[in-house]
Amino acid sequence: MANINIEINGNVVKAKIGEMLISVTDREGISVPRFCYHKKLSVVASCRMCLVDVEGIPKPQPACSTPINEGMKIYTNNQKSKASQKAVMEFLLINHPLDCPICDQGGECELQDVAMSYGSDISHFAEGKRTVADSDISALIYTDMTRCIHCTRCVRFGSEIGGIMEMGGTGRGEDLKIETFLRESITSELSGNMIDICPVGALTSKPFRYELRAWQMSAIANVARHDLVGSNIFTQTYKTKVKRIVAKDNDSINETWISDRDRFSYEGLAHENRLLKPQIKINGKWEEVQWDEALEFSIRGLVNSTFNMSDGSKLGAFASNTATLEEFYLLQKILREIGSENVDYRLNVRDLDNVIDLESNIKLTGLDGIDYALVVGSNLRLEQPMINHRLRKAVLAGASIDVINAMAFDFNYRLNSENIVSPNQILLLLAEILKSVLESSYAEIPKYLSKVKVGDIAKCMADDLLDADNSVIILGEHIINNLQAASIAKLISKIAVQTNSTTLNISATSNSIAAAMVNFIPGQGGLNANAMLEADLRSYILLDVYPQYDFHNSAQAIKTLSKENTFVISMNSFKDKDVTQYSDVMLPIASFYETSGSHVNIEGVIQSFVAASNGPGESKPAWKVLKVLADLLKLPGFGYINSAQITNDISNHRYKQKVDNKEINITIKRGVSVIWQKSPYAIDVLTRHASALHATKIGLMHRASMNKATAINENIKAGDKYLGVPVVITESVSNNCIFVNTNQLTGSKL
Amino acid sequence: MIFSKKAKKEIDIWIDKYPEGRQSSAVMEALKIVQAENENSLSTEVIAAVADYLDMSNIEVAEVATFYENYNHKLVGKHTIRICHNISCMLNGADDLVVYLEEKLGVKTGQVTKDGLINVKKVECLGACVGSPMFQIGHKYYENLTKKKIDKILVELK
Ligand code: SF4
Ligand code: FES
Ligand code: FES
Repeated sequence: MANINIEINGNVVKAKIGEMLISVTDREGISVPRFCYHKKLSVVASCRMCLVDVEGIPKPQPACSTPINEGMKIYTNNQKSKASQKAVMEFLLINHPLDCPICDQGGECELQDVAMSYGSDISHFAEGKRTVADSDISALIYTDMTRCIHCTRCVRFGSEIGGIMEMGGTGRGEDLKIETFLRESITSELSGNMIDICPVGALTSKPFRYELRAWQMSAIANVARHDLVGSNIFTQTYKTKVKRIVAKDNDSINETWISDRDRFSYEGLAHENRLLKPQIKINGKWEEVQWDEALEFSIRGLVNSTFNMSDGSKLGAFASNTATLEEFYLLQKILREIGSENVDYRLNVRDLDNVIDLESNIKLTGLDGIDYALVVGSNLRLEQPMINHRLRKAVLAGASIDVINAMAFDFNYRLNSENIVSPNQILLLLAEILKSVLESSYAEIPKYLSKVKVGDIAKCMADDLLDADNSVIILGEHIINNLQAASIAKLISKIAVQTNSTTLNISATSNSIAAAMVNFIPGQGGLNANAMLEADLRSYILLDVYPQYDFHNSAQAIKTLSKENTFVISMNSFKDKDVTQYSDVMLPIASFYETSGSHVNIEGVIQSFVAASNGPGESKPAWKVLKVLADLLKLPGFGYINSAQITNDISNHRYKQKVDNKEINITIKRGVSVIWQKSPYAIDVLTRHASALHATKIGLMHRASMNKATAINENIKAGDKYLGVPVVITESVSNNCIFVNTNQLTGSKL
Repeated sequence: MIFSKKAKKEIDIWIDKYPEGRQSSAVMEALKIVQAENENSLSTEVIAAVADYLDMSNIEVAEVATFYENYNHKLVGKHTIRICHNISCMLNGADDLVVYLEEKLGVKTGQVTKDGLINVKKVECLGACVGSPMFQIGHKYYENLTKKKIDKILVELK
């Protein structure tokens, strides 16, 4: 698009032909009031607030829908524009209640601001205002529909971003109402964004209702750690407590949006289950003590179990995948200094000799531009909402997407094909795709593929991959405990190489990329998470781990940790029954947003953040606790003063990942596979304590789905419970698969 | 499905008129067709069924169904008197005529007379301002209305 000059308020500015006037004024910092316009939504030009005077056109023009042209002269604040803006403002306020003092939006309301700057102090309208009944449409969003000014941002958000039009305007004229069909609940995993974009107090945050005014809080830029994106957020705090979270713009990460999980998980921070004081167990009784005493106690235990620090092999450490980069680094450094290679964060993997090894090599912004994607084993919307959002954008721009899953899920875009394949057959289907790709490019067929027969479905996907210019293969979290996980990952990387595709490995979430980055996995001679539990070590350090929820084999984990002679140091932000049962020391640590640190996202981008608030009680940031522990153990190289120094250390020191050279093995396994998927709102200790999220439709999902054939084979009936989860018989699940979605706040009992 | 095979066929004719993937453009005709076979009104179930058939969200269809005056959401009489109360008609006394109609028929707007014959609905401008005040029954416009004229029209309604 050609660059041209236009004149705004007498000043010459550069613009592009066809661009909307409002994007030029926004870029130039010239203020034009608006309500319906939003930079990420389509233009409807319905509110008329943005009227400005364009020379040569008799009537004022809406800036949001007036394309720029050479030589245009625009006046945003002359008599004519001002008069129109004032008039529109008066119309908008005809039905809007003037009750700002009792409105939750007061102080951060676009209507209030615009009325102050552009409106008039008197109204010609003396008649009664209309009122609209509220509806209870979500556990997260409070509605005050009388305040709605029908800008339709929330409606467009639903159809354009959320992917399902949930809000709509029914009736017309004076009877126009923004509502959901039959007042049904909102289901979108991104619904909270409607609160951000609603320019008035019609949609506000339910958990935050009547808590505070915006100006009473300080907003601190931060990074959310519940997924692989690391959405940028503002943590808004009052008296050192996080009170609300809103989105922060970052076009290369989360654009303008954040998931509900990132927005509302903070509620857990104030939960009564927080661990507030250091405690030690003496003769089976818990005692609250001072920090130095608790640390002394821990050191004695560690020295004891390592034979005076001479043999570290009897010491192991587990960390939750929500820990910060710096915490992972310090904990492994301590262990390795003591001479132990026993560190692991992969707690929910059944077989650690059969793990997914697949790099991610596409940028988040690159995802918008793909023309083909193959998704294997993922319910993307719930697992990685922001990645799913980018794929949705790609689909709207014409990309086609094929899915290979064990069950049909609700995608919020059209799929090219949805292949429901039993977990044990996924490997075979991928093998067929690889073979087809190799055949098409006249490449040599390796021996392990010789018996594979390429079916039509595989051929189609193979051809799509070959035809695409920009394709990506996405490997999701349902494969993590697949009996052939390692081979599946290898096949995918081979297919990717052959077809010039990128890959995206989203099989482990939260901050797991950070853990891998600092090598928080056992090295030479070390024990992995499962082996550590089997080996009955003398002592364990647990960093924000809650075995009942986090370990694949939670029962065994609790049993091992509870043994008489096992010394367990729990560095936890929350306490629960199990933690108090097996621990010998509990050190209270800061939770999300209470510590400085870094998140590493799927691109490998290290995003550092500062602490937005203090941890409650006597809790301390884990990196500080680890540093002091190291000092007390007299380990060298822990002279850090702040977490940024640790981050620096890490950036200078990248680990090479081990390459796993095992052969691909294409044998078909038999039997029923169970895929156990935690609710997206119960994936970590903070979300498990965020009550509003649990009351949403997504949060309430709790069912074990299987098809009729599987149910008959397994002798299960509808209405039964499978491992404590209600059984649903549905043909949307593949054969030989039980797909468990659980919001039960307990771990897998397999 | 709440609508018949015949209705489906008719809707399909309309869907075919639009490019592929634009089946939602047929929503107005579809609503008209299913309304005709559902006692001349659209229940929420019917709206949801149309949404399903056209691959639209329920609320999207509800928006259309509640925007236009030619869709009904409550039981209607054999004849619907659609009386305009928009600006021109209002200035020429439409409001009085509404009251007159209500008194004469013994029902409020939105209700159906006991014999199931007539209901009155207030609608927006029907594009006949030149003959205001006016109303529409079926396809016929009755313009320059007076109370006397109304009396005569009502007698003829069977
Ligand atoms: S609820 Fe808010 S965002 Fe939605 S139309 Fe009303 S004012 Fe706009
Ligand atoms: S912002 Fe331009 S018309 Fe609403
Ligand atoms: S105002 Fe009644 S027909 Fe136009």
